[in-house]
Amino acid sequence: MAETPATNQLFELWKRQFEEGTQAWTRLLGQQAPQAPAIDPAAFWRPVLNQGLETWARLFAQTPASPEMLTQWKQFLDQWIDAWSRALGQTMGTEQFARLINQQLDAMLTAQAPLKKAFDQQVEQALQTFNLPSRAQLTGVARQIVELEDRIERMEDTLGAVLRRLEAREPR
Amino acid sequence: MGQERFSDVVERFTNGYASAAAAAQASPETIGQWQVELDRNLKRLQNLHAMLTSPVEPRTGQTPREEIYKKNKSRLYRYASPRTHRTPLLFVPNLGISRPYIFDLLPHGSFIEYMTGQGFDFYLLDWGVFGPEDNDLTVEHCVTRILPRMVREVLESSGAPELTVLGYCMGAPVAASFLGSHPEVPVRNFINMAGPIDFTKVGLFGLWLAKDRFNVDRFVDTLGAIPADLVKAGFKLIKPTMDLSTSLNLWWNLWNDKYLEGFQALNKWANDYVAFPGEFFRQWVRDYYQENRLYRGELVMGGRRVDLKTITCPVFVVGAKEDYIAPPECVRALVDAVGSRDREYVELPGGHISLIAGRGAAVHCWPKVAGWLASRS
Repeated sequence: MAETPATNQLFELWKRQFEEGTQAWTRLLGQQAPQAPAIDPAAFWRPVLNQGLETWARLFAQTPASPEMLTQWKQFLDQWIDAWSRALGQTMGTEQFARLINQQLDAMLTAQAPLKKAFDQQVEQALQTFNLPSRAQLTGVARQIVELEDRIERMEDTLGAVLRRLEAREPR
Repeated sequence: MGQERFSDVVERFTNGYASAAAAAQASPETIGQWQVELDRNLKRLQNLHAMLTSPVEPRTGQTPREEIYKKNKSRLYRYASPRTHRTPLLFVPNLGISRPYIFDLLPHGSFIEYMTGQGFDFYLLDWGVFGPEDNDLTVEHCVTRILPRMVREVLESSGAPELTVLGYCMGAPVAASFLGSHPEVPVRNFINMAGPIDFTKVGLFGLWLAKDRFNVDRFVDTLGAIPADLVKAGFKLIKPTMDLSTSLNLWWNLWNDKYLEGFQALNKWANDYVAFPGEFFRQWVRDYYQENRLYRGELVMGGRRVDLKTITCPVFVVGAKEDYIAPPECVRALVDAVGSRDREYVELPGGHISLIAGRGAAVHCWPKVAGWLASRS
């Protein structure tokens, strides 16, 4: 990171090119730069850029160029993301947004319902043609197993309760 | 400033830079720091390359356990522990949304490992991954059929006369519904970690799922089950910048192998979403989110009214300051809703997951929970 003649030359070259470029654009817009206040196409973003560069220049000038700057850059990005998160959070917390996403969901369901029905019918027919069980049939079997397991469990519970009652009655 | 030439600004910048560069040249310490940063960048690139070309499947859930009971897709696991506390602990997590290996993510970064290390006889109820055959499963079924059975199995397996119930996230209101409708259950303590109770204060999900906007019947009737991708979309939407900040933090810490190991495990979990059974979702949204029946004492399950005032055991409630899924105010509501005399609420830094996984959880949350419980077990 040491200052070298090559670094200075590079900055000089960049500065010169930027200056010449600005003048060329000004000439192109039909203005004479030294005579009249020129139209400034960069007026909008210049203050922002200025401020950014000033900050960085100050940072460089005040402290040695150390990796601490990267940490500060990371902190800046974290804050930036946090600011966006808060802004989005505020937007998403409005009635309008809630209504909007529900409209989107509604539209999705409206589009999906007939498609899903048609697709299910097609698949069902295809499986029937090949003499294969359909998804609904397999789900039905699985559901029956779940119900059976539940029934067995209820019987176990009842049996357990009866046994406990009997044990309680038995003389010791 | 408007008329200042841009090149002047650049010149001032370069002047500043030049003097800083001179200062940097004079400081070997700064050069050393840059060297470290350069090494980190090389390591970042190496790790990124390894991540992309030969991804490693993180080994989650390594704490030894045995399956005690299974009921349909649900499993009850008991974790190995030195057991210095008599009262067993039944952990009731959320159903659907995500898998429970977040509670036993990695060695030295696991809630279950921590609690068993503290001598608690730890039982985990894994609700399982439901299929279309389970679409008729309701919250009521979980409360009146699954939970009573699991409690009985815990008591039988541990040989203890009482147990502690710890509900996390959605597991807390489900467990509260169970305890509020089954006063005969010998529960010694009840802990709610980031579980919403007063659904009028539940934040964005509450707003989006409000009755006048969200037609849950149409939703369930059309889709059957709520697909995992839709659940994922909902959770991504609630914090849209999450992926961006996760990526930024990953890049920043990519040189750190330990961080990377944790990231890969957490990232695996964070993208492993689970579908909701249709009828469960219908009842969950209607009774809890839209009508707030649990908090209002209007919930009836298995013919019994759910009355939170019948919960009289010691209650510990933990909320997270930046929890956007279950904001602290809706979690805290349990403290005032129960009939217990021994009740406590703590609000910890971080978000919903920060209570259960990560460095913050191990520092701020787990010792608090274990400390509160130890003297009552």
